[in-house]
Order: sequence, then C-alpha cells, then structure tokens
Amino acid sequence: MNRYAMFSKIVLSSLARRRSRMLVALLAVGIGGTVFLGMGAVYYDIPRQMGREFRSYGANLILVPAGEEASLSLEDAARATALLPAEQLIGATPFRYETMYYNMQGLTVAGADLEAARKTSPYWQVEGDWPRTDEEVLAGLDIAEHIRLYAGSSVTLEIAPPEGRRFKKELRVSGVVRSGGAEDGFILMPLRGLEALLGNPGRANVVEISIAATGEQISLLAEEIRAVVPEVTPRLVRRIADSETTVLNKLQVLVYLVTAVVLFLTMICVGTTMMTVVMERRREIGLKKAIGAGNRAIIAEFMGEGLTLALAGGILGSFSGYFFAQAVSLSVFGRGVTLPFFLVLLTLGASLSVTILASLIPVTRATDVEPALVLRGE
Amino acid sequence: MNILELHDVSMIYGQVQALRDITLSVRQGEWLAIMGASGSGKTTLMNIIGCMNKASLGSVILDGENISRLNAGDLTAIRRDKIGLIFQQFHLISYLTAVENVMIAQYYHSMADEKEAMQALARVGLEQRARHLPRQLSGGEQQRLCIARALINYPKLILADEPTGNLDETNQSTVLDIFHQLHAEGSTIIVVTHSPEVAAHAGRTIRLEFGRMLDDSAWKETPPDSGS
Amino acid sequence: MFMRMILGAVTRQKRKLLMMACTMALGISLATAMLNVMLDVGDKMNQALKTYGANIMVTPRGASFLTDLYGVEEGGGISNKYLLESELPGMKTIFWAFNLVDFTPYLDVQAAFSRENATSLPAPLTLIGTWFSKHIEAPTGEEVDTGIINLKSWWKLRGDWLSDNDSEGAMAGSALAAKYGLRTGDRIVVETADSSGLRRNASLTIRAIFSSGDKEDEVLLVPLLTAQTLAGLPDKVRRVEVSALTTPENDLARRAARNPHSLSRQDWEVWYCTAYVSAIAFQIEEVLTEARAKPVLQVAESEGAILQKTQLLMLLLTLLSLACSALAISNLVTANVMERSTEIGLLKALGATDMQISLALLAEMLLATIIGGLIGYFAGLGLAAVIGSTVFGSAVATKGLVIPLVALLILLVTLGGSLPAIRLLLRLRPSEVLHGR
Repeated sequence: MNRYAMFSKIVLSSLARRRSRMLVALLAVGIGGTVFLGMGAVYYDIPRQMGREFRSYGANLILVPAGEEASLSLEDAARATALLPAEQLIGATPFRYETMYYNMQGLTVAGADLEAARKTSPYWQVEGDWPRTDEEVLAGLDIAEHIRLYAGSSVTLEIAPPEGRRFKKELRVSGVVRSGGAEDGFILMPLRGLEALLGNPGRANVVEISIAATGEQISLLAEEIRAVVPEVTPRLVRRIADSETTVLNKLQVLVYLVTAVVLFLTMICVGTTMMTVVMERRREIGLKKAIGAGNRAIIAEFMGEGLTLALAGGILGSFSGYFFAQAVSLSVFGRGVTLPFFLVLLTLGASLSVTILASLIPVTRATDVEPALVLRGE
Repeated sequence: MNILELHDVSMIYGQVQALRDITLSVRQGEWLAIMGASGSGKTTLMNIIGCMNKASLGSVILDGENISRLNAGDLTAIRRDKIGLIFQQFHLISYLTAVENVMIAQYYHSMADEKEAMQALARVGLEQRARHLPRQLSGGEQQRLCIARALINYPKLILADEPTGNLDETNQSTVLDIFHQLHAEGSTIIVVTHSPEVAAHAGRTIRLEFGRMLDDSAWKETPPDSGS
Repeated sequence: MFMRMILGAVTRQKRKLLMMACTMALGISLATAMLNVMLDVGDKMNQALKTYGANIMVTPRGASFLTDLYGVEEGGGISNKYLLESELPGMKTIFWAFNLVDFTPYLDVQAAFSRENATSLPAPLTLIGTWFSKHIEAPTGEEVDTGIINLKSWWKLRGDWLSDNDSEGAMAGSALAAKYGLRTGDRIVVETADSSGLRRNASLTIRAIFSSGDKEDEVLLVPLLTAQTLAGLPDKVRRVEVSALTTPENDLARRAARNPHSLSRQDWEVWYCTAYVSAIAFQIEEVLTEARAKPVLQVAESEGAILQKTQLLMLLLTLLSLACSALAISNLVTANVMERSTEIGLLKALGATDMQISLALLAEMLLATIIGGLIGYFAGLGLAAVIGSTVFGSAVATKGLVIPLVALLILLVTLGGSLPAIRLLLRLRPSEVLHGR
C-alpha cells in the first residue's frame, strides 16, 4: 500500500467514523458557504434588480424634436431607441398631443402607444379597462370629473384635422386614468386611433423612454443618440435619473456593508467552530506523535481532513446559498437571480481558506505540545 | 552491550524535582521492571526513556546515541525508529480499525504494509478482529492491539507504562505471556508498574521513591528470568 | 457545590468558554445590527427617496384643468381660483404635520421681458414665484424653514440660490437662458398686464441659472412676493407642492383614495391615523380653504413599491443572518458540550443524576453565552450606527424591540445547541466514556 493510499485512508476514516463531530464541522462550513454565496449573489444582483424596480418612477430619458421642429418622426425615434441596450430597455412610448374640442372648449388629446405606456408609466391607475380598440379612450381624472365621464360612457369630440373639414366623432371611454400629474387633464387614446382621425401618421411630439441604467450611463447613451440620430434631441429627466443614482447608490452601499459584516462575522464563527473541533483532538495528536508521527505528517493529515470538509461544505453551502438567493430574489422581485460562476469558485475558495486557517492554528499549537503531557492526563 | 544508559539524570518541573540523579544501564535483551508508588517519578522516567521528554540534567544514551541534547523533531525520529510504546489507556485511534491502527505506525515509520500488519495482529491473537474499531474490542484485545502496534517497526526497546493497569487477571496473564515470548525472542523490555506481581515477571527490578532510585543491588536477590 | 462546580468550570476552562462567549458576541452583534438596521431602513429609505420630489400637489378646488395643458394661454376660460399664502403655515397643524418634510407654493404669471436699456421688442416668458427657504411660524408655535431649495435638491445651479426677501433677484431656467443668451448678473425688465389692462413692471437681476431637466427650465423663478406684486394678486398662490414621509399604500388606502367617505368608521380611523399619502392629502384639504390635494402617483406609488421591496429584502437578509448565526453558535455549543464526554462520564460514575449534570452544563453554557450576548448587543449597536452613518449619513435609531428578540435568540440558541448534545452524552455508559472507547 503506497503512502497516499494510507494517507487518504486515515483522512477518510477520520471523517467517516467520527460522524457527529464531522457533521458539526461540515455544518459550520456549510453555513459559511451559504451565507457567502447567498449574500454574494444578492449583492451582485441587487443593483440590477432594484434598478428595474426604480423604473416604476417612469421615464428617465425623453426624445424631443431637434431644433425648431414641433414633432419628430417615429422612424427616427425607432433608430434612436435601437441604440439602447435591449436588455436594459423597459419601454419607449411615443406621445402625440393634439387639441380637440368638447362643447367649444379645447382639450388636449394625447395619442400614445398604450401598451408601451403601461411599462413606462406603471404608476397610472386605471379605473375601468385599458382601451382595446382604436376608438376607445382613457379620460384623465380631472377631465372625467369636470365633464362627468366614467368607464363605459362616451364622449363626442369635435376634431379639426389640418386638412379637410371639422367633424364630430363619438368615442367610448373605456376607463378613467389617475396619475396625480399632467395626465389627469388629458384624454388618452391609442396613437393609431389618433392618426386615423387626424392623418399625418408616423409623428410624435415626445418619446418617453424608461431604461434601467444609472444617470451616467444614460448621459452616455444620450450623447450617442445625439451623434447618430441628429433629427432627435435626447433629454435626461434629471429628477428621475439623478435621484435613482443617489438612492440606488445608498442601497448598494447598504447591502455592501451588511454583506461585509455578515460575511466577516460568519467566517469568524465558522473559524471558532473549526478550532473547537480540532482542539478536542489534542490527545490524538499527542498519541500520533508518540507512535512516531512527525509534525509535518500530522499537519498534512489535518489539512487533508480540512480540505475535504471545506470542499464538501463549500459545495453544500453553494447549493443552499443559491437556493436562498433564488428565494430572496423571487419573493422580493419576482424574478430569478443570475449567479455568476466566479461566485461559486469564490465561495469554495473562502471556505477552503477559512477552514484551513481555522484548523492550522490549533493544530500547530497542538504539535508544539510534548506528547508526554497529552498522554498522561486522564 | 548496553542498549540504554542513563547518567545522573534529573528532571525538574519548576520547584519540584521529579527525578534526582538517576544512573541506570539496560542490556540488550533484558526485561526490566521499574516500580514505585504514584508520584515516585516512574512516569517521568518513562517519558525520558521514551524520548517524549528531555531530561533537565544528565545524559541519556540510547542505542549508542546521546539523545539528551536532541530537538523535538529528532526525538520523534528516534522514537519512531527505536521505541515501541505501550500505554495503560491503550490510546488507540478511535476511527481506525485494528489493522489500520497498526498500519498507521508503519505509515509514520516508512511504508504501510497490510500483510505485515496482519501478521503482527496474528502474533497477538487478533487476526479475527482486524476489521473492528477499537470501541468494539475488549480491554484485553485493545491492549494486545496496542502491543501489536508497538512491535510493528521492530523497535530496539519496548516501553510499557502499566500495561496491565486496566486489565483483569485473564487478560493480564495473556499480555504477560506475550511479553515472555518477546523476551525469549531477544527483545529488550522496560515495564513501568506499581504491581509487584507484574514486576515479578521481569529479569530485574528497580524501585523509585521520591524521584530517587533505590539501590538496585538490594533487589539483586530476585533471580533473573524468574517468570519464564 | 453546584455553584462551585460551575465557577470552577468557568474560571478554569477559561479558554474554551472565552471562545464561546466571543462567538456568541459576534453572532449577537450581527443579529443586533441587522435587526436595528432592518427596523429603521424604512424611515431611512423614505428620507432618501425624498429626492424624487413632491408627492402631493395642492391646487384650488374647481380650478380648471386647462391650466396644465400645453398650448393654452392664460386668458379665456382660465378660472381665477387661488390658494391663500397666509393659510399655508396651517399645514403644520395637521395630524401628520411631523411627516411634512417640505412644501412650497407657486404662482405663475405670464409676462414679457426685455433687457434693461435695450430697444428690442419684449419677449414673452413665464414667471414663477415661489418660496426659496421661507421661515414660517406655525400656529402651534413651531418654526420651520421650507421651500424650493430643500424640495428640488437635484437641481443644478450656476450661481447662488435667491433669498426670499431679495425683491430684485431672479433665477433663469437653463433653456430660457440659452434661448435669450441670459447670464448671471444680467439685468432685465419684466412687464405684466392683467385682464383689465393694468400694466406693472419690475427690473430684476439674474442671480443664477438653474437646470432641472424638467419644464421649469423654460421659466424665470422669482420670490413669491415679486410674482404676487407683478400679478396684482397679493397673498395668492396657484398651487403648493408638498413632500411628505408616507407609509406604503395598501388596499384600505386605495379604497380611501377613491372616496374617503365610503369607509366604515373603524377603517376611517385606521386610515386617518396612518401616514398614507391619501390620508395626508385629505388632512391638507381640511386646513386649506377650497383646496384640492392630490397624491402625485408617479412619486407616491413608486416610493411605496421601493420601500416595500427594500424592507422585504432587509427582512430576508436579517432572517438569513439570524438563522446562520443561530446555527453557527448552537453548533459551537454542541461541539463544546460533546468535547466534555469524559467529564460527563466521570460525573455519572461519581453518582450525579442526569438532571444535575444537565443543569450544571446548561448553567455554565448560559453564563458564557449571556456574557457574550451582552457584549455582542452593544457591539451590534455600534455596527448599526456605523452602517447608518455610512449609508444614510445619520445614525440608526435604537429600537427597544431588539432587546427581547436578542435575549430570546440567546436563550434558544444556547438551549437548542446544548440540550441534544447533553442528551446524547447522557445516553453513553460511564465505563465506555472513561475507558476511551
């Protein structure tokens, strides 16, 4: 039997036959691994996930016509939107504002891509339904109260297209929209419906864009749009973009600090547990020395055990940590977590170094002890 | 030829002088018993002979080599090569089987060899129990295993500390029988004991009292090899 | 004897128990810090989210929605309803007055301006009067400074903010400044005409150029008094923006937002006494004559969502760290107890009953863990303070609730860690243990 076979036999027997103690140690390393990977994954993923949450504040970038133009073409807007990274883009909603008349009073009617608007303005509250056809509209809360509109009623508007005669059109109100902002004073309708009534399709006054990115990133993207599509002028909605950067930074620092504290303390806990488990074996170390084991052989055996434990615990911890991070991500954000592979390696590395370090200290101290002292006592 | 020579060996722990000026020589093939009451210094003496402690004063020559000035690492090497230790509490490694407990001594010495380890077990009558863990063995069996482990590297000197202290009479005589056999084969044996009965089997007995060796001539009347 | 045994164990096994106390201290400091941060994170995040601006908009009741619309000029069809500036300090008397972080009134005036000594035709512009950092005294005697400086923290400024009694100062929006080439230090003459044809004018100095990234970039900002004088509307304001600390909305709040009077009496009281944005808005309507306070959903709703997510996230992280420190400590306690199999065997051999042994061990473990826990609690407060001041720039409030939680944790962890191990050891026969098995 060669040396390595005997070595691994000693190590494996020690692990397999001292089950309860090893379970204690394994559990300790496993906990460390769980915390490490779980917190690591959360830390890594939080800004991304939270960034998406912050998009509930609505558009953080708008496209307006360049120069003195009153409107921009949707094709130009689409070219500009295509420059934005698709995985970060939440939505882009073109708005076209026109004036129509109700009882001779002017009303602003906003034509919008309402599907996209639900993504870029998730805070709108609609009582009733979103329009399903091009002839249905949403009434802003203030207008609805003023001229007594409600979901299911209809409104007759007088329309003055740029070419042709004025005509009247009855539209069905599918719902009342409440936002607390300017929308409360608008009639909102699908852009295609507005184009059908007024002609001159493919134009918009403004395109609202919601993109999951930091203020700096958006500024860079805006620069790019300005350079590539000169027909539109991108403008940062500073209130939204800057605040997001500030708040998100705070959140990230918070999670970072919490992660650091938790990791540090857990690693120390794991370390002390390992130390206790090893300290218990002073007598065994003394005995091995008495029957002729050199310090190196003893340290090698303990390191072998530690290594096996650390690997097993690290893998165990990686799994449970992943499930933890997944559970957090699902319950908080309703989305799965993305786990970079290097984090798993880092977890294994951390559990290895903590275990080795934690066993090295008591083992080297135990090997300093003369075997006679250890064996005599009982 | 003397396998072991002690010259004026003293051991001092702080204020306490555990051993005073011990001078002793042991011949090759001799069976020596060291007797004494608790606290007489016999374990201290055994630790010095067994290379587990260094004497405070005096010189120890083992197999022609002065070991009294060696460092801990060299002492470990000497212990591994020249001494087989047998303990009162057996001190087996709980998570290794009987044969593995023997093999671990081989492993630290040079190379683990299962066949040889099995032969050593057979010699103490444990070949049937080779795959058992220490806690599955009786006290006598554990002590025999301990002896098998001590013998496996062909030590120059077998050192036993109260080898029968934890055993009943039957097991005691089994163990002593093994000692007789080893003695007959020419092994040098030193047994530390407080039991006159066990000491009576030895070829020579010395007595320790308060760390001093009583004149061992006073015990000369014990006939050599009285137990064989 | 019992005491002597425990004291003996504690004093003579210093190293091991010290280690246990240390681990306990670490674990408990972690738990304390996390619990404190978790319980306070809502308030802290709420403060941080205030940078998103006002979440309540107050307008005169019955004011035409047309004022907000694009392209509709001041004049025909615009109602002449206003709020009264003198009533605004009354907002500090509402139930949730303490939660009103900042508020500021606005009065917009259509005007024309020209550079001083210039001959060109006056250009049209919108003038908005507001508070910058107005010192007001509430009817309750409370004194606060509030205004646009606090409310619009994200604005970028070239030059300094105006002061409220600077009757000759103005701030130009960046778009307006770019359009007419205005620079700080420029002097302009602003002229207004009201419906009766009466003209008023004032000469102002541009003290700063601001950039808000919003519609305000196209206006000229002046102290409220200047705007009121120019418009001939003393004590009048058009709207008030309010930034309030609020509780995330729930079903009750949404029902109430539609119609507060539809609630049952009990629901009403719960709603009124909770800092929902709708409740605060309702209370503002109560103190201002003919006012309509509307939550700005873009801010209010998102705030709620983000607060909830943050709190949930912290809750889960706290649970993880609690569970882990509990496991780690009880694990260590187990290791510590198991190590003492020989001692337990010996005690049994000496004739101690299982009860006596368990009590002795438990008392010893508890002593070590409680001392460790105490140290840990205070260390945890320190940690929480560090986290609070690093992240939010203000210390985390110490919550009394944490103390019983932590005490419970210590007790559970110690008992949970030692009892199974003690039971395991008691089952061993003394001879086995003593003879090294």
